[in-house]
Amino acid sequence: MLSNVTAALEALPSLSTQRRIALDALLQFGLPGKKEEDWRYSNLSILDELTASEIAPSLQNYEFPSAYDSGLDALNTALAGGTQTKILDGGSTELDTGLHQRLHIKVSGEVELSLIDKTPSRFSTFFAVIELAPNARLRLSRTQHADSQAQRITHLTINAARDARVEAVTADLGGRFVRNDVFVNLNEAGASVQLCGLYAPTGSEHVDNHTWIHHRAPHCQSYESYRGVVSGSARAVFNGKVFVHEKAIKTDSETRVANLLLSKTAEVYAKPELEIYNDDVKCAHGATFGQLDEDAVYYLRARGLSADMARALLTQAFAQEIIDRISNDDLREQVTARFLERLPR
Amino acid sequence: MLEIKNLHARVEGKDILKGINLTIKAGEVHAIMGPNGSGKSTLSNVLAGREDYTITEGSVTFGGKDLLELPAEIRACEGIFLSFQYPVEIPGVSNMVFLKAAINAKRKHLGQPEIEAVDFLAWVKDRVKKMSMDIKMLQRGVNEGFSGGEKKRNEILQMLLLEPKLMILDETDSGLDIDALKIVAEGINTMRSPERATLLVTHYQRLLDYVKPDFVHVLAGGRIIKSGGPELALELEAKGYNWLDAA
Repeated sequence: MLSNVTAALEALPSLSTQRRIALDALLQFGLPGKKEEDWRYSNLSILDELTASEIAPSLQNYEFPSAYDSGLDALNTALAGGTQTKILDGGSTELDTGLHQRLHIKVSGEVELSLIDKTPSRFSTFFAVIELAPNARLRLSRTQHADSQAQRITHLTINAARDARVEAVTADLGGRFVRNDVFVNLNEAGASVQLCGLYAPTGSEHVDNHTWIHHRAPHCQSYESYRGVVSGSARAVFNGKVFVHEKAIKTDSETRVANLLLSKTAEVYAKPELEIYNDDVKCAHGATFGQLDEDAVYYLRARGLSADMARALLTQAFAQEIIDRISNDDLREQVTARFLERLPR
Repeated sequence: MLEIKNLHARVEGKDILKGINLTIKAGEVHAIMGPNGSGKSTLSNVLAGREDYTITEGSVTFGGKDLLELPAEIRACEGIFLSFQYPVEIPGVSNMVFLKAAINAKRKHLGQPEIEAVDFLAWVKDRVKKMSMDIKMLQRGVNEGFSGGEKKRNEILQMLLLEPKLMILDETDSGLDIDALKIVAEGINTMRSPERATLLVTHYQRLLDYVKPDFVHVLAGGRIIKSGGPELALELEAKGYNWLDAA
């Protein structure tokens, strides 16, 4: 395993010492395996299917860390050629998640950030640490419409300072193997996050969303809502964990995940989790799994809509709850169109 | 217009309809009354095309066509409208989107072009007013959070817009207060015409005070056991259904 990554890096015109260190760290740590709880349903051995040329490391070199935390961290650093720093203090910014990138993004003021899977690569790793200054407001969307061969790993860490607010929406409508991790740290009082996501794998696609929200300070709020529409023989995984630390009194937190299974062979593993270390909190969570409401299908058919149209309308209604949260109009329309064109007929 | 002959239907291994015979001509209003569990709702849903039922015997023709061959949506496009006893709530699908989709489905079936957005809006607004409904409800999900009375009014609104040939009203009066009942009855009455037929399915005589039927039938045990004029409804109201068992 990972011989293809080594080959891809060694095929670069020049392999800097720093990148060599990152590669060595990767080989030493290895990648997480199925025995690790967070990787139970997502087997990274699928990376072995990639050829050295499909791994396509970045040709640039940026800043490198002095030490590595994990194999995945080292993999992304080696492939992205280190960390780029971006300062966002207003307006809208778009970044491509179809390329290996490693970013440190500093946000102040009111910022709209769109992470879009643009480059039609076979494989990409996109890791970002986003720091929100006090009172900053970030509207973040991440959309992924990759083809049915693509492998994607994204990892976002969001650190929110006092009274900072994040509204994030993600949509995964493609990809053979997709794993998204989101870590949110509500570090100071009054910070809040709204994290919403839609996943709609079909065919033999695999989408895994893992989220961790840490309430580390008093008076922070988190609201999380993910919805899945799973068809064909696709598999979806959702794990949303909320940690309320001892100091985080007056925490207000809610996690919801709802799934619609459109075929007998579709699979969903969804689990919201809570870990609370103080008594002065308001926390709720819940998960649902189901099929389309056949009474509603009949009702629509009794008004003249074809069975296909009735099902499409009901499925779209289920997903729209998340799609409507995308603030960028163009992006929202693209996601709606992509969602509809992928519905089973 | 509608001809039901010896109709037998079964659900979950249980025979519900056991030989219904009924002919409805254009312009006529028929009321079917009967105790709970007599098969009233089954008859309504069998006519509308619900697939949970198995037709074991008999036939139904509508405008000369074999109705039982057609899926629910084609029946709707051909002019059958069922006002549901319990209209479903569909969060996320707005009434506006739903009404437009329904109207255009019918127009497509009839080979007509899609309705112009401006015409549609004006038309819908007019009918919403007629049903004394709040125009804001068009932006809400279909029946989402509606009271029982609002749901029934929404059914009649759809009926006014879809202009069916055969209106089947399944317990439309249940759960309505007297004001809502009058509005609903008025909606039904404005639709009465020599080209249209109506089938009122009801437990009580109440609705028939406002929508006068030409014929009244009593359904019990899956069969029509008695037919007559409007006076039969009054007799049932006075004597109850048990009187018929004894007779």
